[in-house]
Amino acid sequence: MSAKRKTVVGVIFGGRSVEHDVSVVTGQQVMRAFDPERYEVVPVYINRDGRWYTGEPLLELKNFKDEITSYKGVESAILSPSVEHHGLIVNPTAGRFDKSRVVRLDVVFPAIHGTHGEDGTLQGLLELADIPYVGCGVLASAVANDKIMTKIVLSQQGVPIVEGVSFSRAEWQEAPDKVISHIVHELQYPVFIKPATLGSSIGIGRANDETMLRAYIDVATNLDRLVLVESAVTNAVEINCAVMGNGLDIRASVLEQPVSWEEFLTYEEKYLRGGQGMKSAERLIPAPISAELTEQIQQMAVKAFRAVDGRGTARVDFLLKPESGEIYLNELNTLPGSLAFYLWQEEGLSPREVVEQLVQLARDAHAEKRRNTYNYQTNLLEVAAARGLKGVKGAKTRAKNPV
Amino acid sequence: MDFLIVVILIIWLVGTIIRTYRQARFYQIEEYMGGRYLRWVLARRDRWLPTRPAGAWLVGLLLALFISDAPGSFVPGVIGLVASMIAVWPPDEGEVKKGFKPTARAKRLLGAAFISAAALAVAALLVVNRLPDVSDVRLVAVMAAGFTLWLLAPAWLVAGNGLMTPVEAAFRRQFIARAAQVLDEVRPTVIGITGSYGKTSTKTYLAHILNGRYKAYPTPKSYNTLMGVCLAINNDLANDYSVDYFICEMGAYIPGEIQRIAELTKPTISIVVEVGPQHLERFGTLENVARAKYEIIKALPPDGVGVFNWDNPYVREMVERGYPNTRLAVSKEVDPANVPANGPRFIASEIEETLDALSFTVTDAQTGESERFVTPLLGQHNVTNVLLATAVAVQEGMPLRDVARRSRGLQPAESRLARQATPAGITIINDAYSANPVGVVHALRVLSLHRTGRRLLITPGMVELGPMMVSENRKLGEVAAQHATDVILVGAQQTDPVKAGLLAAGFPPERLHVVATLAEAVTWYQNELKAGDTVLFLNDLPDTYSS
Repeated sequence: MSAKRKTVVGVIFGGRSVEHDVSVVTGQQVMRAFDPERYEVVPVYINRDGRWYTGEPLLELKNFKDEITSYKGVESAILSPSVEHHGLIVNPTAGRFDKSRVVRLDVVFPAIHGTHGEDGTLQGLLELADIPYVGCGVLASAVANDKIMTKIVLSQQGVPIVEGVSFSRAEWQEAPDKVISHIVHELQYPVFIKPATLGSSIGIGRANDETMLRAYIDVATNLDRLVLVESAVTNAVEINCAVMGNGLDIRASVLEQPVSWEEFLTYEEKYLRGGQGMKSAERLIPAPISAELTEQIQQMAVKAFRAVDGRGTARVDFLLKPESGEIYLNELNTLPGSLAFYLWQEEGLSPREVVEQLVQLARDAHAEKRRNTYNYQTNLLEVAAARGLKGVKGAKTRAKNPV
Repeated sequence: MDFLIVVILIIWLVGTIIRTYRQARFYQIEEYMGGRYLRWVLARRDRWLPTRPAGAWLVGLLLALFISDAPGSFVPGVIGLVASMIAVWPPDEGEVKKGFKPTARAKRLLGAAFISAAALAVAALLVVNRLPDVSDVRLVAVMAAGFTLWLLAPAWLVAGNGLMTPVEAAFRRQFIARAAQVLDEVRPTVIGITGSYGKTSTKTYLAHILNGRYKAYPTPKSYNTLMGVCLAINNDLANDYSVDYFICEMGAYIPGEIQRIAELTKPTISIVVEVGPQHLERFGTLENVARAKYEIIKALPPDGVGVFNWDNPYVREMVERGYPNTRLAVSKEVDPANVPANGPRFIASEIEETLDALSFTVTDAQTGESERFVTPLLGQHNVTNVLLATAVAVQEGMPLRDVARRSRGLQPAESRLARQATPAGITIINDAYSANPVGVVHALRVLSLHRTGRRLLITPGMVELGPMMVSENRKLGEVAAQHATDVILVGAQQTDPVKAGLLAAGFPPERLHVVATLAEAVTWYQNELKAGDTVLFLNDLPDTYSS
């Protein structure tokens, strides 16, 4: 891309997800991080219902106190999957008196947490549109967003995880007693109950007995189709590590230890305390653990990131038992809150540098995709046109010229 | 009689319209330039005064006058009519290499030409009607008017063009404005390429290499005029927002043209491939050619990137002028171990050419990196073209290694040293596009790589070289003598210097054939050559140059 004109970055935030509000905050932090001299930020906001908007007023966090979509200058928009648009179609259902227009996006920065954004769906749309985008691809996003699938993939790759049991809403509704007896047979109290695909601690409960267990499962099955129950790791501290990079070149950040680990981080604590997002949540950076353990965790974070075929960035959360040195991978966030700016800050990277590096990684990943061949011409259609569909059945086609 | 007069005039008018239509393609070949076209028409008698029509007209007229003894007889009129029909009957045109392209502009022009011819015909009829109806005055007058009308067919084209000038100008302005708007919406990075030759190949290679990481859209074929570029933009770039790079070939047919294309497209990267004697007849001197090419560099913003072929002295001089700040030069002649200060950055060495691959090592003098490039291209001039494309790709963030990998899939641009085999096992090397003094030498070297049989060169020589036409064609003959075992020259007149060069270099005269048309040359090789032999076609053979 030329340095001659500003790079146009579409930042998508909000989203049809329980994490909508968090995502708006992350989106604002990302948009503010870009150097306005070199980047032109196009805000793309998806509201709670899943409607898409763009326009200047979306750049201001304070405007979100009101009904943002009623602001003058906020227009409806869609991200076109058709490659020639390479971006947004603004005012897509324009009629006789108004006009729709295309806004080309050089790179897209998804800043959506959880469902319909961090789970591979938005990534799928961007793959179709053939636009470089920040962060993990479809598969890594989908796997990491699903706590059950994460366990399956990571245990396969030899990353230590907490043991757990999973079941579906249907199983719970059909035969709750069977589910409970299975959990009790496999695990010991206390246990954590987690909706499989929700983030930000939403719907998570800790149960010491069956009554609590049943209550939390009811909560979780209301939020998600699949539920995970896992053993609580007692006397553990939470240790988080951010990673950034593509392929063979992945670096790990300094470690953090959230210090409010009494029961677990509640939703409010995680995001609202201090009113400035994650930045002011109470934590120790670097985590006060030995250099040896630090290195071990950092390596494990990189290993896990590779195991799910991650790229761009992620924050990997661990549980550490300080006395025994046992480490468990707890969660993989492919779009961590605030993009873990605060961790990279300790590594000497300003938010501006973080977003610029992520944009570069997105372009590199996209370039890697460009190396694949998609246009492979065969004579199948000629044969089909000549013989009719019947004649084609099982017909051997030969490649004309791979492009 | 009066009825016959009208019919005769209509016959001439129909003949005029057919002749005008048939002339239109030559007018197109001369790029709608009235002066050039008329010079071409007047250059040979049979172009402006073909023998059969003139003869039929004269004979018919005389015959009619002699037989006109009986007053009121319609015999002279019938003779005149038959003679007119024979005169205007369209001749067989033979093989048409570059047919008429019915563009909107051409249609408007033809319409105007037809109308002006018809108006003149009506005027002539009115005048003839006023003449006294004695003897054959009216017949003679209408025959004279009709023949003049017919003879002036080229003038109607020029007149039609003149009439349409204000209309065309308005259309053009609108078209250019639309192209500017499209570029403004799609906002691709624009890469300009110019050069006396090699620009289409460089453009094709650059697009292929950049597509390994980005999305590049090159101007199709050799669209390189302001209108051609606008056409490419309006047809293909409009509504395609996915294009990262618009690679725009810019041709200079007149000074200021590149500047005008650059003002429209605003390149931020510009490549100058070669300055050579192409179109020298229009520019006069090589310095003027260089000045026209330099417009593409002058059009860059100060933070733009200029990419230059160091091996061409005129282009090297552009590097030394010091604009813009970022200047990348490439060379295949400089020793990579001993690069002069402020010299070329990308250098090709260890160039190897085989029947299957053109390989060379590219060194980035700035980083010290080097990679081996193995391309399926033919002809060593392509090394420069690939180097220029490499410079841009590396500048735009592609690692040299990726560029090297990408270069394995390069394909020659259409009709530029493309090779294929006939079912009879004869290898055909097609360089039927703008042979130039640099390209022909490399093409002949490629020919001499073929060692399995006879090596036949078919060429009409090089054209549009102005004052250097004779000397350069003679040189072509001399070089051809070293590489070809057989030579067929198409068109005796303009290939004379080639013949002289061949014979001077000791080429056996019995191996040299001069034919009138390309078709004859093709028939000759189909009869004479066998499996294992090779044919090299040099330069295209437009109708304007065949005899």
